[in-house]
Amino acid sequence: MACRGDEPGKPFSAILSWVSPGSLPTHRTRTHNICMVSDFFYPNMGGVESHIYQLSQCLIERGHKVIIVTHAYGNRKGIRYLTNGLKVYYLPLKVMYNQSTATTLFHSLPLLRYIFVRERVTIIHSHSSFSAMAHDALFHAKTMGLQTVFTDHSLFGFADVSSVLTNKLLTVSLCDTNHIICVSYTSKENTVLRAALNPEIVSVIPNAVDPTDFTPDPFRRHDSIITIVVVSRLVYRKGTDLLSGIIPELCQKYPELNFVIGGEGPKRVILEEVRERYQLHDRVRLLGALEHKDVRDVLVQGHIFLNTSLTEAFCMAILEAASCGLQVVSTKVGGIPEVLPENLIILCEPSVKSLCEGLEKAIFQLKSGTLPPPENIHNVVKTFYTWRNVAERTEKVYDRVSVEAVLPMERRLNRLISHCGPITGYIFALLAVLNFLFLVFLKWMTPDSVIDVAIDATGPRGAWTYRCSHRKRRSGKYEISKTR
Amino acid sequence: MEEERSFSDICGGRLALQRRYYSPSCREFCLSCPRLSLRSLTAVTCTVWLAAYGLFTLCENSMILSAAIFITLLGLLGYLHFVKIDQETLLIIDSLGIQMTSSYASGKESTTFIEMGKVKDVVINEAIYMQKVIYYLCILLKDPVEPHGISQVVPVFQSSKPRLDCLIEVYRSCQEILAHQKTTSTSP
Repeated sequence: MACRGDEPGKPFSAILSWVSPGSLPTHRTRTHNICMVSDFFYPNMGGVESHIYQLSQCLIERGHKVIIVTHAYGNRKGIRYLTNGLKVYYLPLKVMYNQSTATTLFHSLPLLRYIFVRERVTIIHSHSSFSAMAHDALFHAKTMGLQTVFTDHSLFGFADVSSVLTNKLLTVSLCDTNHIICVSYTSKENTVLRAALNPEIVSVIPNAVDPTDFTPDPFRRHDSIITIVVVSRLVYRKGTDLLSGIIPELCQKYPELNFVIGGEGPKRVILEEVRERYQLHDRVRLLGALEHKDVRDVLVQGHIFLNTSLTEAFCMAILEAASCGLQVVSTKVGGIPEVLPENLIILCEPSVKSLCEGLEKAIFQLKSGTLPPPENIHNVVKTFYTWRNVAERTEKVYDRVSVEAVLPMERRLNRLISHCGPITGYIFALLAVLNFLFLVFLKWMTPDSVIDVAIDATGPRGAWTYRCSHRKRRSGKYEISKTR
Repeated sequence: MEEERSFSDICGGRLALQRRYYSPSCREFCLSCPRLSLRSLTAVTCTVWLAAYGLFTLCENSMILSAAIFITLLGLLGYLHFVKIDQETLLIIDSLGIQMTSSYASGKESTTFIEMGKVKDVVINEAIYMQKVIYYLCILLKDPVEPHGISQVVPVFQSSKPRLDCLIEVYRSCQEILAHQKTTSTSP
């Protein structure tokens, strides 16, 4: 809501007195009104969520106007403001499965159109292919003639039924999207193949970590024992089954070895079973779900970080671990080999045997003292990936997209029919026409002129821009400002 | 001093805002919606009666026709008495408090009064309303237990739902009075 708990009248009176044009950053020639759409955003936790948040913050810093649209999380619905005036719409849409909303392709149009119009959005940036809302927003944005960008955060297979279906939907959704961003080259290859895209409209912009949040602290770990840290959701995709094979084997071989496992998920049961069967209660600690701010405290307790993912587009976890100065042992899947240089990571095949060998190699290096000190690893890693760099590169994509023409209706229909196969193509062309008619109806019901233009919190005419420029950005960037 | 300006509501309908400045510490804002138009009344009555007549030709029971007449009459009475608000008034007096009055089309009035001691602030807020995102004016009430907390949010002009330009007008005046009240209450 518009009022903050501490001084409710203030923000609005600040908004009402329009900020003078002198306060806008002068080095920018063009700024964009960007709307990030995804089903996944805070208070849900994960890579996509923090990616959207950090990217938005850096884009705000560069003078763009950014808003985020997501679905309501429990009691958190309506409009909230986060740090630096980042406005978040929590729309009351039904959640169907795994925090993804149900889609009928039409029911979200009235609200999304209202938001796009009142915020004067020019670029829609959707995130994650699992998010139904992101695809809906792309579909509506194209109907409304807005520029569209899509970021894919995950890898898919080609073989099983669910993948075949999602790939088909992705083909439909992306065939007329202006630009697509992938987080690694592997992911780009995967997306181009899945959605049958022209590779020229696909860019690679990796994720980043905030190096100030992940600093090493060698005094927190005990050097008499060796601690292996695992931080991931305990699900099949993250290879928890492999982990349950590794634990007993290594614990038998090395009596001084300990495991610390952070994360929650349906596969937690099998880890508990392993712990029970081999009597490893004092050596395998299961921490349960971790908050993002606690991850660093867990990471610095260990010497070696183990990642057992079976599929991964980029893998933030190993980057965070390396930033904390841990030796990383990981499976060689997806985009992981691209993330870190060879001397900082030990890559293994995704099998228990290979991972055990990799871990043994890391343990040997640790015992012989050939590993570089954590501080050195941190200093190397912190130069690799920063959010400012990500924002700069994303901005280039926006600049490029904003001068492109949006496909007019008849060419969009042609593209759908020629690109997505005869049956799907015609079905979705029909849906696109229906969506267009629905939009015409909505425009007749509430014309654009009746919709109030929202007061910008961020961007060139943002009411908060002035306030932030003289208030230094605080270090606690993850902290979500208390809103009521 | 009295002046009248016309604004529109969130659906594009016409609204008239009357402002009466009695003194620097007392102002009244009156938002009036257009009265029930004969056209919409005729349209609704005609549809109900045509539907009733259609049913009558199907099942040939004259009860339906008389029921339709009663339904229209009762519906109209209920609508005018409980639903249709013609005028909403916000009276703000800096030493006393804020009074909100809504007058129904039938002449019924309902009044709420909030004393100044309870009012923390008057703000414009955003909310998702049906398939729209709208601005609305609301009064924040102080939490008696926690001095900086807010115990309740009272929306103003709930039925007329004016657009932002109208709200800003009212908001500015309210803030002036609130500021006036703060300076007078701190300096005895």
